[in-house]
Amino acid sequence: MPIDLNQEEPQIRELRTRSVTGYDGTLKDITQQGCCGCLKNKKRCFTTGSYCTHLPAITSVLGLPDTLVVDHAPIGCCGVEMTFSGGYSMNEPFAPGEYRDNVRMFTSKLTESDTVFGGEEKLKEVVRGAFHRHHPKEIYIATSCTSSIIGEDVGAAAAEMTEELGIPVTVLGAAGMRSNLWSVGFEAHFHSVGKTRFRAPEKKTDTIVYAGFASVASEAVEPIFKKLGLDMAFLTAGSTKEDYEKACTARVSFGQCDVDASYILTYLEQEYGVKYFHLHQPNGGIGFERFMRDLGGYLGREKEAEEIIREEREKYREKIEELKPLLKGKTALVALGAGYAFEMVRMLKELGMEAVHAVSFHYDPLIDATEDRTARSPVADAEELGIDYPVTVNNAQEMENYLIVKKYKPDIVVTRAHGAGSWSAFTGVPCLDPGLGINIIGYRGLYLFADALASSFRNTAVFDALKARYVSPFTDEFEALPPHSFYAKAGEEGVPHKPYKKSGEEVLSWERIADSPARSSRE
Amino acid sequence: MGENSGFSCPEQQRVGCGLGGIYTALSIGGVLPVLHSGPGCIHAMNSVLSLSNGGQNPVPFMELSVPCSNLSEEDVVFGAGGKIRSVLEHALRYYKAEIFLIITGCSAEIIGEDMQEVADEFSTPEKTVLPVALPGFKGNNVWGHGQILSALIDGFVEPYGERGTVKGRVNVLGVVPFYDPMWAGTLERLECLLKQIGLEPNILYGRDKGIQELKRIPTAEFNLVLAPWTDLDAAKKLKRKFGTPYVHFPYMPVGPTAEAELIRVLTETAALDVQKTESIIKDRTDRYFYYFDRNLNWLFDMHNQRSLPREFFANTSASAALSITKYLVWDLGLSPRKIFIPEDVPKKHQPGVRDLFLQTAKGYLKEEDIVFTDDGGLFEQYLKDVDQTVRKSAVFGSIWDDITAKKANMPFVPVGTPYGDNLICDKNYFGTDGALCLMADLYNDAEKKGLLSAVI
Repeated sequence: MPIDLNQEEPQIRELRTRSVTGYDGTLKDITQQGCCGCLKNKKRCFTTGSYCTHLPAITSVLGLPDTLVVDHAPIGCCGVEMTFSGGYSMNEPFAPGEYRDNVRMFTSKLTESDTVFGGEEKLKEVVRGAFHRHHPKEIYIATSCTSSIIGEDVGAAAAEMTEELGIPVTVLGAAGMRSNLWSVGFEAHFHSVGKTRFRAPEKKTDTIVYAGFASVASEAVEPIFKKLGLDMAFLTAGSTKEDYEKACTARVSFGQCDVDASYILTYLEQEYGVKYFHLHQPNGGIGFERFMRDLGGYLGREKEAEEIIREEREKYREKIEELKPLLKGKTALVALGAGYAFEMVRMLKELGMEAVHAVSFHYDPLIDATEDRTARSPVADAEELGIDYPVTVNNAQEMENYLIVKKYKPDIVVTRAHGAGSWSAFTGVPCLDPGLGINIIGYRGLYLFADALASSFRNTAVFDALKARYVSPFTDEFEALPPHSFYAKAGEEGVPHKPYKKSGEEVLSWERIADSPARSSRE
Repeated sequence: MGENSGFSCPEQQRVGCGLGGIYTALSIGGVLPVLHSGPGCIHAMNSVLSLSNGGQNPVPFMELSVPCSNLSEEDVVFGAGGKIRSVLEHALRYYKAEIFLIITGCSAEIIGEDMQEVADEFSTPEKTVLPVALPGFKGNNVWGHGQILSALIDGFVEPYGERGTVKGRVNVLGVVPFYDPMWAGTLERLECLLKQIGLEPNILYGRDKGIQELKRIPTAEFNLVLAPWTDLDAAKKLKRKFGTPYVHFPYMPVGPTAEAELIRVLTETAALDVQKTESIIKDRTDRYFYYFDRNLNWLFDMHNQRSLPREFFANTSASAALSITKYLVWDLGLSPRKIFIPEDVPKKHQPGVRDLFLQTAKGYLKEEDIVFTDDGGLFEQYLKDVDQTVRKSAVFGSIWDDITAKKANMPFVPVGTPYGDNLICDKNYFGTDGALCLMADLYNDAEKKGLLSAVI
């Protein structure tokens, strides 16, 4: 289905890419089930807190220069922004000694009476106040669970404010309950910013678009693409309007991962013919070689691509070979987002380590770019490289991951940001944030990863000390469970309890939700 | 601030929503919140109150091990009573805890989920299940903290608490765990001091605190509220329920003056050994000045009074602002310029809090200098019109003010939530020892910003 930025927010991944958050099996099995369209989501009877779309949507937009966000929500929701903004946006690097402004984050602070009488007037007041305080060039109004449930017409308020203030005021779809996948928030960010900023190009330029969280380490890849005659354009959480306009002129594109970037890069291909490379991610050596050959072939620059591959391989060969003996025979467990989990397993294997298990925070049988279910990077790994390993899919269910780590007893847990690292450290298993984005691209990325892994094994005193002290806060019954004990038996979950009804209002029907699942429940 | 009254333009979040009250529960051993909320609510709280608040997480139940029904759109339509029952039923089997609090967030509250019924169904003599409604649209995390305390008192302390009165036992109230970023270190130091002067402090939060401390609550000789307004309601409730009188000492003491005042108040209230407590005051004050005197060259000869910050702004919780105001005004010789309190102090408490600032500031503040607001960004706007050519004032606030202060090249010390993306460990500004640490943080930041060399 084509991507339509005229909608208020992206359709959720559960419908667009048939994504699941409950599965256990193997890479071969999940990719095969994905390809035949028979992958079913397993629901759980016991769950722990996770993430929602609010965080990625808001933190991504907050870093954009000259913008601000008004959260149409109760007072707590916009707290998510502290994680990656911490006052100023940490999405992009800045020069030493340079002080950035605080990010501009407002809230309409919905109260109980607003849930009865509506909060649209209040929202408009905050938008006006925010505009007159900071004079931004764009304003984004984030939706929330509460604004969706009470049926606020945020789109109408945004349109009215656009007219009144003379700058684009755009809805940012960020109601957490819409999806079990927080990554939908990344798409909501690109959806709303793209809607505001994309312009049909007057001419094409020799440009390659990179879409991701940040352009950190761009200096490491820009010279590589220069050799293919390509300039880079970055669509990140720090991009300017000009960056978005330049992206429309580009010939080719790729993303930091096929979750974060696929939505917007598919749109660029669909609208402006920017060829999107997604089958082979350029991460690590193997990924880089496959990606460069795809790209070189498309541009008719096979020879230059081969030359680049040779140079990069040679540049880091000795460094990587030196580290390999330190990693030989070590086992790792990976727990990362769907765009990274399988990539990191391949990189671990490249370094001679064994990946005993991969936890992916969701799985996409489809990618936005094509209806071809085999055109997925995990499928490529399973088929082209013939690799297989046990796989779990959960949306950062830490109690499940705890049991998985306990079962596999890896030498290291490769993970980031969703609790698995804290719990593995607490129980005495070393853990490592493997880095992301440009820093894992190519042989340089492989070298940085190898070095970080080797450092982790060099001195494990801190983990040893934690292990010796660890006392489980969970019961013996829990500790004795095998992983994957929390799947709901038939009929155990989602049992209709009672229909939602606010006094004097129409009862929501399931049909209404099912007919327009991409939209908020009460438009 | 009441609903819609004095509504401004809320920017720069310095509070969590009501659901942030779960941090109070997570600070008491043996208590586990079970959330009936959206999947990301825990993370919204985690960002402000934990991760970006001195890098502190609750133990042993770190946030992402907290059970949650992860409400979806479908649940909002059909109801999620089955889902929360299932999550709770497993939680009761898997977690070593005695009190399970079913916490309802905005979505669950709007769709009208009845949790009392669920709580009654699952409570046993060994495990207490209590419902606590903490929707963000009803209040912030300080309100949520009060709701949690209130639910624990009604649902656990009253039916299961010990009876009788233990001489010298004192419940410590007023600290909101995590929202006071230095809560853990502060309470440890306070506990030592209270023991030293001959009391038996009953502290509810932190290392090794838990169910036993909750059970002891009714047996206290008196309750001690160490805050301008938080927990006053809890103290009144305990008075009604158990007849326990309370002492309202309106700030956590920082510096020799405040510390001595607290010790004297407690000596009188609990009829402690005056000779002993006076000697403790003398010893602690002497120690403070021994270390203070060791800085005299640096403070007054090398840098002198002209280059050190002599005035200050605060933009933080009433508790933190009042504690530091007491120290800075009464001991360190700084004057307050304006106090911003962006925490939605309830209207009924505002006059009392204002008076406390006026008294503590020794006449350096006028009524209009104490600003109650829900807009953390108001201070940054106000500062644009402040003339700073003669002297740089210090700023006490949160990570948001760190940036504001950096841009204005003003000395800055974080004292409130969100404290920052750095590690707070056991740091505290409690009493005489903590005051030395606060002084060092203040003047070191001034030095780092090159302000002290400005007179050379």
